[in-house]
Amino acid sequence: MIFRRYGQFTGGIDLPDEKDATLESPIVPWRRIERLCVPLGRGASASAHLLVRPAQRVSAGEKIAASDAGGADVFAPLAGTVASLTKASVVTGEGLASVPAVELTDLSAPSPIMPLSPTFDWRSVSPQTLRGQIGGGGLTGPGSSPLPLEVWVRKAFGRKCRTLVLNAMENQPYVTADHRLLVEHGAEVIRGLAMLGTALQIRSVLLAADIRRIDDYREIIGPARMYGIERIALPHKYPIGLPPMLTKVLTRREMPPGGSVMDVGVVIVDVSTCFALYRWVVCGQPQTHRVATVAGERAPQCGNFWIPFGLACRTLVAGAQEPIICGGPMDAVRCGSAVATAATNAVLALDAPLPAPPGPCIRCGWCTDHCPARLNVAALNDAFELGLLQRARRLGARACVECGVCSYVCPARLPLTARVKQLKRTVGRVPTNRAALASMPKDQTGRGES
Amino acid sequence: MTDRAEPSLDAAAPAEMRRFAAIRAPFVRAPERARTLFLVTLGAACGPLLAGVALFGYHAAMVAALSVTGCIVAEQLYYRVTRAPALLGRSHACLTGVLLALTLPAFVPWYVPLVAAAFAIIVAKAVFGGVGHFLWQPALVGRLAVAVLFPVALTMPFPSHRNAWPVLARDKLLTGDVMNVRRVQNYKGWQKTPAPPGADALLLNQPTTILNGLMKPADPAFSALANLPSGPDVVPGAKPTALSQLPPISDLLYGGRPGSLGETCAVVIVIAGLYLVYRNYVKWQLPLAFLASACCVLAIAPICLAGPNQVTKTVWYPLVAEGLDVGFVYVSYQILSCELLLAAFFFATEMTSRPVTTGGQVIFGLGCGALAMLLKLYLDVPVPCFMAVLAMNTLTPAIDSIWRPRVFGCGWIRRRQPG
Repeated sequence: MIFRRYGQFTGGIDLPDEKDATLESPIVPWRRIERLCVPLGRGASASAHLLVRPAQRVSAGEKIAASDAGGADVFAPLAGTVASLTKASVVTGEGLASVPAVELTDLSAPSPIMPLSPTFDWRSVSPQTLRGQIGGGGLTGPGSSPLPLEVWVRKAFGRKCRTLVLNAMENQPYVTADHRLLVEHGAEVIRGLAMLGTALQIRSVLLAADIRRIDDYREIIGPARMYGIERIALPHKYPIGLPPMLTKVLTRREMPPGGSVMDVGVVIVDVSTCFALYRWVVCGQPQTHRVATVAGERAPQCGNFWIPFGLACRTLVAGAQEPIICGGPMDAVRCGSAVATAATNAVLALDAPLPAPPGPCIRCGWCTDHCPARLNVAALNDAFELGLLQRARRLGARACVECGVCSYVCPARLPLTARVKQLKRTVGRVPTNRAALASMPKDQTGRGES
Repeated sequence: MTDRAEPSLDAAAPAEMRRFAAIRAPFVRAPERARTLFLVTLGAACGPLLAGVALFGYHAAMVAALSVTGCIVAEQLYYRVTRAPALLGRSHACLTGVLLALTLPAFVPWYVPLVAAAFAIIVAKAVFGGVGHFLWQPALVGRLAVAVLFPVALTMPFPSHRNAWPVLARDKLLTGDVMNVRRVQNYKGWQKTPAPPGADALLLNQPTTILNGLMKPADPAFSALANLPSGPDVVPGAKPTALSQLPPISDLLYGGRPGSLGETCAVVIVIAGLYLVYRNYVKWQLPLAFLASACCVLAIAPICLAGPNQVTKTVWYPLVAEGLDVGFVYVSYQILSCELLLAAFFFATEMTSRPVTTGGQVIFGLGCGALAMLLKLYLDVPVPCFMAVLAMNTLTPAIDSIWRPRVFGCGWIRRRQPG
């Protein structure tokens, strides 16, 4: 058996696939780029100090900003001229955020993904040296985490995780970026994964892929076998691609509410992080581009493109009508003026109808049936409408995995995911009654000595 | 608490972008909407309704039309008067009207469906806040109201024949007048009895009445122990088939028995209910729990057979008291002779008034079935299954708060405080 089969989780739903338009389209560079706003960091707190002046000429791959605490270095994706220091909006887990950016104009022609020759033998060094090598390449953590990769790796190493999973599920409709990267540059991705496994000193390294796509991944079987990576084919029931569900299916451990999968000893990385990691550590190429899928019924040109960071997402679907969204349709945000970052895996121009006004909850219970966290979403919606935070806490609002299935199935078109997400954030911020009492000064609780 | 606004748009955002500001992830949605859901349920409920129209003639169609019209008019009137926004108004009012018609007999006078519709829409639905907020299934509340207000009109269409209701004869289906009745002598089952000369409908005793008569010998004709072999010299194997007075069971399956409009044709009810299960509008666990608990209660609940001259005989465990075959027939007759199937597939599964979680629905179904059969066996209430559903609807909020599935990442022990 080339790919092993694995288990299931409760809830979830079969989404329409919608990937045919871009599944076979190879990765090509985006045609013509006139202006880039390269963001200096992905979170609101990250900062970097600038190494270039306005009107200075920079070459491709030149470092334009060095990281301060908690940020990653920033490199120029293409050769060009620094026009000014501006602001750019980037997509974070909470929506759009405005971060400082460097505007580049007068750019060189974009190039495809260049084959690079290895300059560093990663297998001859110790894991500690390897962990030190990860920093400095402008790499950020997997998914939408704004941490630099070396900080993320240190955190994962400190947790003594025992399983490393490469998440190649990509089970949102339309998105095929990871799939194409694995098809075309699978060997490099696998080497990056093996390198990360060595750096974290993890024995059990898994590759989880969609069972419908594994026929396309024949190229990676050789390298994966060489590095002892176990390959697992999983069914495509959404949201199996989310880290908590993947952990549950592969290891039968459940992520604690409000925690991360590292709390149960599992590290999950995505394909583009492994690819960028290999190219930085072994070939010395910093991360300045990523593969993004451009698709949707209203997109003028569908395909998988190698886009530089700082490219305005709107230009990828120029001329398309709203809504234009960044990311997979289940957890995307509306694109606005966002620029591409390491987390931008898709820019979609969907043929979504205008939203109907939400009706009253008819208590059909479909949200509860399909919730992968087994939450009673209908009761949480009641708690939201009545403003009952403690009830939401008792119902387990913090266990929400933010997959979007409840909103997807809701026949009353209620924004359930947004509501539960907001409850989750609020419940996480407000302490429980007992914790609030314990943290109060003693004279306020009425139990003081004086 | 209110929905958090999206991050502010750029000042120069085009107007179209602002229109889409309200859209949030997910950007793909399942096609089914609340309205389609009601309309499909309505379509399924039309199955028993059509069977009722075939079996009871144009009187049934009139009752249905009156009840649907009454529901729609009451809904429009309420929202016109209170100026409340009518959300999901007409489709759900239609559904309520059809469901209400299914619970009424075909011979009721014209004002009964109208009064029931007014109660269903205004008292049971609108006052509670409309779809999604009512506690009791509205159609059943309407049925309960008319059962209290017009007890005679609903139970005795022909005062000269107590407990006898009409059904069209097999050769006068759909076309006959159900009020043009005659009692037939030597009734051999609906399928074998043609219409008596000069009449369209047969006047028959309700199977429920016959079954109740086994226990309460008000009418000596129904006495269970009348031809019961007694004494020490009973022939082994001769079973006191008191049920021999009942119609053949195929009549109960096809609907050739007197009863309310939608409850008689078991085959159509089951097919329509299974369609709802297939569409995922009804979880199979709920009707199954309803029927299973009803069967279990019937199998073990003791009955007291009564005969003339104050002779009584208590039967413990009716399923096995006289052999499994007699017990099976007894349970089947009890299940098919009342409105149990209709209640299990169409009324207990009303989304707003049942629990949300699957486990809660199983508890709800078990409670409904047991309560319905206990009411039917031991208390003389009209439409016991509907009453049981209403009673369990009252407990729905309690079931919802008691039964909580284990939340992802929280152990069973910490279930009470997953936060």
